[in-house]
Amino acid sequence: MTSRPGSSLLARTLAAAIACAAIAGCDSLPGKPREADRPIRPSEVTDFAALWGTNCAGCHGADGDRGSSTPLANPVYLASATDAAIRGATADGIPGTSMPAFATSRGGLLTDQQIDLLVQGMRSRWGKPVSPTPPGIDDATAGDPGRGAAVFAARCASCHGQDGAGGPKAGSVVDPDYLQLVSDRALRAATIAGRPDFGMPDWRGESGREPLDAGQVADVVAWMASKRPAPIVATAPAAVAPAHAANPAAAQPTTTRNDHVP
Amino acid sequence: MKSLFSSIGSWLDERLGLSETLAPVMGHQVPRDTASWWYVFGSATLVLFALQVVTGICLALVYAPAANEAWASLEWLNYQQPLGWFLRALHGWGSNFMVGMMTVHMIQVFLFGAWKYPRELTWLVGVFLFLCTLGMAFTGQIMRFDQDAYWGLGIGVSMLARTPLVGPYLVKLLVGGPIIGAETLSRFFALHVFVVPGLLIGLVVVHLVLVLRLGINEWPMPGRLVDRETYREKYEELVQADGVPFFPDAAKRDIVFAGVTILAVIACAAIFGPMGPNGVPDPTLIRTVPRPDFFFLSLFAAFALLPPWMETVLILTAPVVGIVALLAMPFLFGLGEKSWKARPMSVLLVVLALVILVTLTRLGITSPWSPDMDAWSADPTPVRFLEGRTPLEMRGASVLQAKQCRNCHSLGGEGGERGPALDDVATRLTRDQLIRQVIQGGGNMPAYGRNLSPAEVTALVSFLETLHPANQPPARDASRPAAGARPPA
Ligand code: HEC
Ligand code: HEC
Ligand code: HEC
Repeated sequence: MTSRPGSSLLARTLAAAIACAAIAGCDSLPGKPREADRPIRPSEVTDFAALWGTNCAGCHGADGDRGSSTPLANPVYLASATDAAIRGATADGIPGTSMPAFATSRGGLLTDQQIDLLVQGMRSRWGKPVSPTPPGIDDATAGDPGRGAAVFAARCASCHGQDGAGGPKAGSVVDPDYLQLVSDRALRAATIAGRPDFGMPDWRGESGREPLDAGQVADVVAWMASKRPAPIVATAPAAVAPAHAANPAAAQPTTTRNDHVP
Repeated sequence: MKSLFSSIGSWLDERLGLSETLAPVMGHQVPRDTASWWYVFGSATLVLFALQVVTGICLALVYAPAANEAWASLEWLNYQQPLGWFLRALHGWGSNFMVGMMTVHMIQVFLFGAWKYPRELTWLVGVFLFLCTLGMAFTGQIMRFDQDAYWGLGIGVSMLARTPLVGPYLVKLLVGGPIIGAETLSRFFALHVFVVPGLLIGLVVVHLVLVLRLGINEWPMPGRLVDRETYREKYEELVQADGVPFFPDAAKRDIVFAGVTILAVIACAAIFGPMGPNGVPDPTLIRTVPRPDFFFLSLFAAFALLPPWMETVLILTAPVVGIVALLAMPFLFGLGEKSWKARPMSVLLVVLALVILVTLTRLGITSPWSPDMDAWSADPTPVRFLEGRTPLEMRGASVLQAKQCRNCHSLGGEGGERGPALDDVATRLTRDQLIRQVIQGGGNMPAYGRNLSPAEVTALVSFLETLHPANQPPARDASRPAAGARPPA
């Protein structure tokens, strides 16, 4: 070792500095696990977007509309449905339809707290005042199918066809198979809140029309519901439409409906 | 200072006689050709093993081998303990590198004929070293005790359980009960830190002694045949005539390569970080798609691809056949040609094995066959498939989601890939074929007949029938002019 003492001191200081920088820099190394990536139990998720994205987006659309099922990012829907009803539908599902129960007590994967978060999240994100106040979706006034037919002819037939079996702008709402998969609540929701995402007007109708009143809504829903074949029960296979005659599953219906039986 | 060290050194040396024993070991003559970059993989594996021992001991200081605490202690290392994550990453990547390096070492030894007479025992010990290393990798993955670990263990246990007669007993011995439970982790901890490392160290010693005793395999030449009568004599001649001392001539490459390997481990650890822990192991959380570590991915892929009846046969026979083949090899082909240039079949075998391994691993990484458990509720039906649809078809789309068809079938590129994408299924199948497929299933698809009401089938199939590009007509059934149209209800 013939090097000058100064240079070796310099080298040591340099080495020490590099070591310090390396250790301090370790905190910013790309491999360091980030707090955000920390795995959490599904039951601990409290972020609305994450809850919606993994549980509801599939059927109700990534942004709450333009999905296959009732659009929930619809201010009219939110104005006419009560929190209790939204929570109830989410927790217990809607029997006989494709809406599953999400509450852990019903075999789902969401805690009560998460369901509350979803309900609040929908309201705060997608809700806004609507005027005039729409009829309530949960208002259970019994309608009259006879009067409903007239309402339908006046307000709906232009799109859904004279007999409701499909028209120029929209498909059949009296198809027996469709009606077996939809609850009366969903028919009310469609009549009141429309499907703005796919061009169906809400209860106020197309521009220049008078809004439907609660009675008219109940009537037109009753008319559609009256087209529903008798609820399927195992003892009455004759009730199964002939279209299913060749269908092995027809012999063992698995869904029994109970939400539209008067 | 320097003189103090050297006097302590010579004091110790006088009593221990280290230089007397080590000097001939370090300086022993080896064939000149073996001072080559091809001969460095074994020593690099050894150095990686040393790294694993050191980092492993550090981890054991913190790790809590109890089912309910393991995960939390790793989380603590990852997020609370400064550089704890780096330690975990080093150990994790060290393990990957060790398995990889050992495989390369084995391939080199295989191709260079180093397993032939008289080094059969060295090879046998090497095979057991390899098995122990895989054992370490497997038990190490269990140490993480996250969902991936749980999964890997589940597969391992179900493999073991299929062993005839003794299967259930083996399972009980290994996991401490018929199922993975509280005792499982402590058993695997004992295996991972005492039993298998103990075996490894013992075997490594034997392996090294053998290497020293029998000498490093000379560079194989086509035509230079191994013969039991003459081989050892010829080897001595070769070393005498054209040998170099192991240290430093050959060893310097080993040292450089081992250094580079360790740097690579450090770099990987710093860049990619530790593996897991990936979510709490909880058998009730069915919504994840766990994945084993990469060395077992090929196995995972093989399982998923095999028809069920072949699984048991393959699980029980393949490992046994493979190990027996490796062990029997030096006894069956222990003489003759060493050079890979003169052993085309061996080269072919290696290439074949690598191709299979790489393909299966790649498949394992993408694992198209494992269902996407979230798809049904998370992946929206693409809007273009919903525009202009009737209420019935819309309900059909909801049924498709609700019945979790999306977990196996993608739409618009989202969803599982276990079954074919359904984007244009209507161009392939007629209404009747769609109904049959849904009700009766077939291939790897379950039959839905009992799980769908007639109305659901109708809605589902009406929706599926709309899945064809606008410019391409749906498939038609020639025998039924009205096919595709809904029969009157
Ligand atoms: C598998 C598809 C599917 C998923 C996933 C799904 N829904 Fe639904 N949902 C439906 C269907 C179909 C309906 C309409 C049912 C009917 O006919 O009443 C519905 C109806 C509803 C309604 C009642 C609308 C009304 O009539 O007032 C609410 C509220 C609702 N869903 C909330 C949710 C929430 C919140 C989630 C996520 C946690 C969710 N849904 C996930 C299919 C689904
Ligand atoms: C401007 C045209 C238009 C008018 C008027 C109209 N609808 Fe619709 N309706 C649509 C469209 C578009 C859809 C959505 C596409 C679909 O589901 O087929 C729809 C859907 C529906 C649905 C199915 C909702 C679902 O989610 O299952 C019902 C029920 C319905 N309409 C009832 C009515 C009733 C009752 C009226 C009269 C009060 C009415 N519609 C008036 C266009 C219209
Ligand atoms: C467990 C995964 C899985 C689920 C869940 C599943 N499928 Fe399949 N599906 C498959 C596989 C695999 C095939 C290919 C079958 C074969 O090889 O014959 C297939 C084939 C199909 C086909 C024929 C596609 C073609 O191009 O030939 C249709 C249609 C289909 N499935 C519809 C459905 C529907 C509808 C559902 C929900 C009710 C569903 N599948 C649920 C795995 C699944």
